[in-house]
Amino acid sequence: MSSAKVGAKAPEFEAPAYYKGGFTTVKLSDFQGKWVMLCFYPGDFTFV
Amino acid sequence: MSVDSQFVHKVWNDQELSKMAKKDIPFYMASDGGGNIGSLYGVYDPEDGVDYRGRFIIDPDGVIQAMEVLTPPVGRKFNETVRQIQAYQYVRAAKGTEACPAGWEPGKKTLKPAPELVGNVWKVWDPFTDH
Repeated sequence: MSSAKVGAKAPEFEAPAYYKGGFTTVKLSDFQGKWVMLCFYPGDFTFV
Repeated sequence: MSVDSQFVHKVWNDQELSKMAKKDIPFYMASDGGGNIGSLYGVYDPEDGVDYRGRFIIDPDGVIQAMEVLTPPVGRKFNETVRQIQAYQYVRAAKGTEACPAGWEPGKKTLKPAPELVGNVWKVWDPFTDH
């Protein structure tokens, strides 16, 4: 049930995160007014 | 963002990435436990329980302008992402009056869409020299 399409609003999300030495929560809407590069990858400690 | 926890992200930063990059990772390393966010973005593989290499460029209005999705064994090229962000920033600043043709990079020729340009792009833009 993907709702991500070019030209459409990016789906909002909230996720636990590691950031500069601490643990926090990050939301897409925290970056309103800024350019965002959102990257997914298969896993930590994998090879590529 | 991957299905790993924020705690594993920390250890990966500390033990490996910071050694590769010669500094700590400067951006958020978010956890997508269960792949819920990956599912929302169409990049979660429930069979393997991991997110594909999905990359989304989101503009200041929260609109997705570009996406790229690769399966696990091939890595991305970061410079291409930077080029796309630069091009989207350029056309946004031009408020739709200019477009960036194939291979465009900052400083290269843009096109100004207008009725006179229809069928005449070949006169003003050379794919061999203008990129």
